[in-house]
Amino acid sequence: MPLPPASGTGRYFVKAAKSIRLIRQGCTNRPFYHISVTHRRRLNSQAVIEQLGSYDPMPNTNNEKLVALNLERIKFWLGQGAHVTNPVGELLGLAGFFPIHPRSYMTAWRNRRTERENQAKAEKSTESTTTEV
Amino acid sequence: MSLLKLVQNNTKSAFFRCNEPKIFLISSRKLSIVPSIYDGEDPAPKFFSSGIQILLKRLTRPDFAKVFRKRNNSNISVLRTPKYKFVTDEELRMEKLKADKSADRLLQMPPVVKVHKPIDDVLSIDPALIGYDSAKYLFTDISFGVDNEHRTIIERDPDGTLRSCDHAERKRLNQIYFPMQGRKIREPLIFQDEEKFHSLLDRLQYEYVLDRACVQYEPDEPTYHKLTSITYQHIDLKSMYDLLRSTRHFGPLAFYLTWHKSVDNLMLELLQSADVREAVLLLALRQALHGDLSSGEESSALVSQILPTPVQLTKKEQLSEEDIQLDTKCIECVDKYINTNSAMKSQQGLALQGFREHYQQLVELSRGLKKAHGAA
Amino acid sequence: MASKLLALRSLISKPLNLIVNQTPQKLDFVYNLKSFSTTSVSNINFFNKLPAEKLWKSVTSVSNAGAKKGRGKGAGRIRIRDLNRGQIIGVGKVNMLWPGLSAPVIRGRELLKQQRLPDDPERMEKLIKLRDSMTKFRRLKLSPIERGWSGSRMPGRSIGPPDPVVDEEFTGFDTKVLQLRSLLIMKGTLGRTRNYQAMVVTGNGQGLAGFGIGKAKEAPAALRKAKNRAGKKLMNFEIYDGHTIFHDFFTAFGKTKLYVQKKNKGYGLSCHRAIKEICQAIGIKDLRAKLEGSNNLQHIVKAFFIGLLQQRTHQQLAEEKKLHLVEYKAENQNYPTVVASPEYVRTKEEIPKDETLDFIQYVMNDRVILRRKKFPRFFQTMPHYEIYLKKYEKYRNHEKIRLNLKAEYGEIKSFLNDKYPEPKEGKEE
Repeated sequence: MPLPPASGTGRYFVKAAKSIRLIRQGCTNRPFYHISVTHRRRLNSQAVIEQLGSYDPMPNTNNEKLVALNLERIKFWLGQGAHVTNPVGELLGLAGFFPIHPRSYMTAWRNRRTERENQAKAEKSTESTTTEV
Repeated sequence: MSLLKLVQNNTKSAFFRCNEPKIFLISSRKLSIVPSIYDGEDPAPKFFSSGIQILLKRLTRPDFAKVFRKRNNSNISVLRTPKYKFVTDEELRMEKLKADKSADRLLQMPPVVKVHKPIDDVLSIDPALIGYDSAKYLFTDISFGVDNEHRTIIERDPDGTLRSCDHAERKRLNQIYFPMQGRKIREPLIFQDEEKFHSLLDRLQYEYVLDRACVQYEPDEPTYHKLTSITYQHIDLKSMYDLLRSTRHFGPLAFYLTWHKSVDNLMLELLQSADVREAVLLLALRQALHGDLSSGEESSALVSQILPTPVQLTKKEQLSEEDIQLDTKCIECVDKYINTNSAMKSQQGLALQGFREHYQQLVELSRGLKKAHGAA
Repeated sequence: MASKLLALRSLISKPLNLIVNQTPQKLDFVYNLKSFSTTSVSNINFFNKLPAEKLWKSVTSVSNAGAKKGRGKGAGRIRIRDLNRGQIIGVGKVNMLWPGLSAPVIRGRELLKQQRLPDDPERMEKLIKLRDSMTKFRRLKLSPIERGWSGSRMPGRSIGPPDPVVDEEFTGFDTKVLQLRSLLIMKGTLGRTRNYQAMVVTGNGQGLAGFGIGKAKEAPAALRKAKNRAGKKLMNFEIYDGHTIFHDFFTAFGKTKLYVQKKNKGYGLSCHRAIKEICQAIGIKDLRAKLEGSNNLQHIVKAFFIGLLQQRTHQQLAEEKKLHLVEYKAENQNYPTVVASPEYVRTKEEIPKDETLDFIQYVMNDRVILRRKKFPRFFQTMPHYEIYLKKYEKYRNHEKIRLNLKAEYGEIKSFLNDKYPEPKEGKEE
């Protein structure tokens, strides 16, 4: 096996801090993430302890984003005191495994706001055009 | 339970069917077949009951030469040198038992079950998440050791609702994360395209179609029911039952025909090929499913006598006295059915008459032979 | 001498008065005659002193020592040319018409006269071409179908069916040469004499085959003898399922050892070329044979035939062992088919503990084929190979993905291309 498996090599220090994070695995212009548990101080390019799932941020033909989670192992690593990064926390929140992450609410609120603003702008521009005519 | 959907060149009734929701007409060049699904009473308890399973297996008429034939879709890309073994009688018996077991595995019938109900299970509604993303999020729990049916697969809609996925999505995601060999994520062209599907049926590739459908679909999918019902009706119209004998699909075919009370064509074929015992088994199957036959009790009584006798793959040339007794009982039973319940009285009566005459000759011949050899 | 005569003739042909007028010339002539000597003018040289035979020999021969070293053989060898070939009496460099020699005396009612015709410029070229064609060594050219194992040599070539024996025709038979060699024997009176020995195999491809050895002074005679002898010694072989032997076997002749294996349909003949020819003559299509020890061809042939003859049918094997013989075929999902049953079957208690029950071990007489250990390919242990593997690992599924995309969209693109179109090459204007 020429490269270490992306699913993890399984080697770790018991007392070192762990973190569950997204690790980018795709290529240029095509992001794809592994949800993996690794040492907190370790780089994303280094071999991970274990892969716990995957996340494809690009919607597929049916406009769906696919997330796979090995909940059994995630529970185990949470029990070992692993830290969960924000993006993973958001995904787990959306999945209903965690409470919804505050950042998700913030993003949703911001998106709604910008949409509202855009709508208002669009209405204004249409109104102005109609009055001019 | 919708009634029999077999429409033989009868366009009038086919148009009536067209108006009904969910049932649509598929017209072939010569014949119009209306697909049907098991959507009324659940057939599973009856199909899986041991008595009916035994009847269906016996009706399959397993010929090991066909069951263990060379298959093109096996994993062996090149032939291998045959292997040889010296065995004693005892070991040979064990080997035969093992072969019987593997034959059972090869002949295991695809289940006949009711069409599934849609899953509509909302877990939580969070309007504060509206606008988070324009795409759906699908979450699959890939924990080890959970089978496809019980895997947790949920979706977070753009309007913030968390719900369980429906069957189509479940199937797709299961195939993505736990691929099944031979199953495609996109529906194969032969099932999408009616022209292609019917051209396959016209070429009598029934086993291929049914095998592919088995791999591609779950047994409780409406598409599976639709495709298989079309195939079964096609076989019934063409009387090509022999193509499915010794395969795992004959049981579901016989079950389908009996369930929809259209066994007469199959009965005629059995009588013409002089398999009167199997005809009785078919009557017993009908009795077990519907219980509306006048000769029902007799046929169910005869089953226990027929089952211990070996499967008849070739025509017998000599008959023993027990055989003659059993066969005459069978003939009586079938005769009663033809006179009271059959829809094809004249044809079946003729076939039975032909069988009787032939059988009488055989009886005389074997009795004469016995006399000549000295009845010991 | 001739020149002098010509001079005389020229004098005679001149008118007499001219001669009279030229008295000083005559005087000169007389003076010349005075210096005439009887010693012969040397017109003999190396080329006309010796006969052509000797001249050619001097050019073509190789010294004894040279011949021992192998000189004067092969393509560069000088060959004797027949310079008279293509030359006709009466036809020469000057194209003359000689009535009675190169042309009839009377043509029609006309008497032909000796006359000079226009020169033929191509005559010399033609002659040279003809002479050159004699020098070049030409190999016998055979079509690939007729060709044997090696070039135009006999081994491996077909020489047709044996000659009929008393109205018995060998229809459907074909004979292949396995060996043709010259044998040298020293004789007291004749010295070293040459004999030819041929070994051939003949068969009809349906189980009948035989081999024969023939010796004669000439190669064709040896081949014919061998062929006819092979036709008289036909043996019948049963072929399993029309394509292979009944079981693996070991066979030996002298120091030659052969391990022959039964193979599946479509395997082909993977063995020594002589065994291949024999199998084709018999009609065996699939087989593997491993040769160990001496590769003496005659021994190989004899060993193989002995092995084939000593084969036992399945029924015989079952009778010997007093056990059922069961066949398992992978393509039939290893369904046990009883191919032979003995009259009396032993029970488990009757079989001694040390008896060989393994089929292959039994038919091979407890001999085992040596299977050499497989070593990794030479490059697989090198560092560059690991680099290569690492580099190309990410491309491992590309081919499959391209194929799927082509099947789905008709070209290499995805649904994302509609959203984010790529500029296409060649379409820009």
